Amino acid sequence: MNIIETCDLCKQYGNALRVAHLDLNVPEGSIYGFLGPNGAGKSTTLKMILGLVRPTAGDIRVLGKNMDQRNRLSVLRQVGSLIESPSYYGHLTGEENLRIVQTLRNIPEKNIQEVLQIVRLDGQRGKKVAQYSLGMKQRLGLASALLGYPKLLILDEPTNGLDPAGIQEMRELICALPERFGMTVVVSSHLLSEIDQMADHVAIIREGELVFQDTLEALHSRSQHHLALRTTNNAVARSLLAEQSIPCQEEDNYLLLPILSDEIAAQITRFLTENHLGVVRLEERQKSLEDIFLELTGKAVSL
Amino acid sequence: MKLLKLEFYKCRRRKIVLVCAAVLAVELIWMEVFFARQDAEDLQWGWMFLLYNLSMVDAIVLPLSVATLTSRSCELEHKGSTWKLLETMVSPNSLYAAKLGWGALVLATLLIIRSGLFLAVGIAQGFPGSIPWERFGLFTLISWTVSMMVYALQQGLSLRFANQAAALVCGISGSFLGILSMLFPPALIRCVPWGYYGLLSLVGMDWNAATRVTRFYWRWPQPLDLVLLLIWAAVFLIVGRTLFVRKEV
Repeated sequence: MNIIETCDLCKQYGNALRVAHLDLNVPEGSIYGFLGPNGAGKSTTLKMILGLVRPTAGDIRVLGKNMDQRNRLSVLRQVGSLIESPSYYGHLTGEENLRIVQTLRNIPEKNIQEVLQIVRLDGQRGKKVAQYSLGMKQRLGLASALLGYPKLLILDEPTNGLDPAGIQEMRELICALPERFGMTVVVSSHLLSEIDQMADHVAIIREGELVFQDTLEALHSRSQHHLALRTTNNAVARSLLAEQSIPCQEEDNYLLLPILSDEIAAQITRFLTENHLGVVRLEERQKSLEDIFLELTGKAVSL
Repeated sequence: MKLLKLEFYKCRRRKIVLVCAAVLAVELIWMEVFFARQDAEDLQWGWMFLLYNLSMVDAIVLPLSVATLTSRSCELEHKGSTWKLLETMVSPNSLYAAKLGWGALVLATLLIIRSGLFLAVGIAQGFPGSIPWERFGLFTLISWTVSMMVYALQQGLSLRFANQAAALVCGISGSFLGILSMLFPPALIRCVPWGYYGLLSLVGMDWNAATRVTRFYWRWPQPLDLVLLLIWAAVFLIVGRTLFVRKEV
């Protein structure tokens, strides 16, 4: 079952279509990585799912129910969220901040202590949030999202601005949530490596359009192996290989060949040498996830 | 009710009591200095003289005070980017109503204390005649209603703009226009929202140019002015709320 389904979701600002005909399917119990370069429309999409931004067109179903103004708040009782920067009252303590959410959500008071322990902020609960570091504020934001132990957690770039230790800590926390509390987590990022380490399902958007949606495994399977060959005369080598019915294409002074057995690779090397061509490079290559991301988004891995 | 309680909870350590105390202190000092400079002839008008001048002081002090209180209540949401958190739990309409309710209660408390304080001042000054309890009650109600109309305008601005400078500049302008409008003809005062503090004053003043004698007299607010006040308030409420509800976070 899908916990979030969007159908033909669009958002237009002025003449620009920021989110274009998005069909997302988030399976229940998954960690769903929502990936795209900055400005691709990730936050807008997540805000539309939460009903904070009105879609120009399309439908959204969350937890099997249509998200409209009538039932938005009742659906969101089972959804926790952390959108962009954390929301907090700087003049109140961490505990007081959580008490506001606890009161609004009608949640038992004991949850406050529990979530503070989960995010490891129990030692700082009496401190004003204005005095927290960014990492602590992010963890408080996560605590606030976790407070009602929701079925669905939507986290928009939760590691933004954190130091490496903070990123690792946040990642460990997120990865533990589905198993520990049975939650489905949607986490957005512009960093492929981050999603690669957390998610089991991935969606990639580029300029508001969905360019990939499947399991992380399926994304990895796109990373094909091939051989890269460089000779003293690639043009002649190419025609010789064509005579031998070995498909190849030229790219950056290399001839890219499919993966060959050691025996055939040795035969080809001999064959080229016999035809007075020198083999100067023969490498096995694999397309990295970064290459795939670059191909799909047309942008650098992190912008 | 839960949201209203939370508004008070959120305003902890926001020095709201200090702001209210400052408003009372300014009004009290202003009036005391004013009384000290009057001769015995003017002071014989007693309660009328007090209420007339109090509505004038209100026109100067309350617009900026209301702007400050509204700003204290709304700024904390902008500062902490809390709209996107709150609006996943409650509707923008409820948020708007809770903030307005908070303002109504704070202003009611402030103005009741203010009236009590000036009743005490009048008694201490030994004003002649019986204490006009009803007039004082009505004066407090009018001050509160005009302040709520101004509060609706200020809340609209404070919610709309994260930078509170716009709301505070409006408050300062209101204080200036509030007192200036007392010199306008009534038709023009009705066009100035802050002018209603003076327009709805329960005491009128008549200055005779020939004898150079000032006479004060009791009067009742005109029904048309009360209707216009409610129309202003409704406009500010509807426009402010609509802009807030429509705003995407």
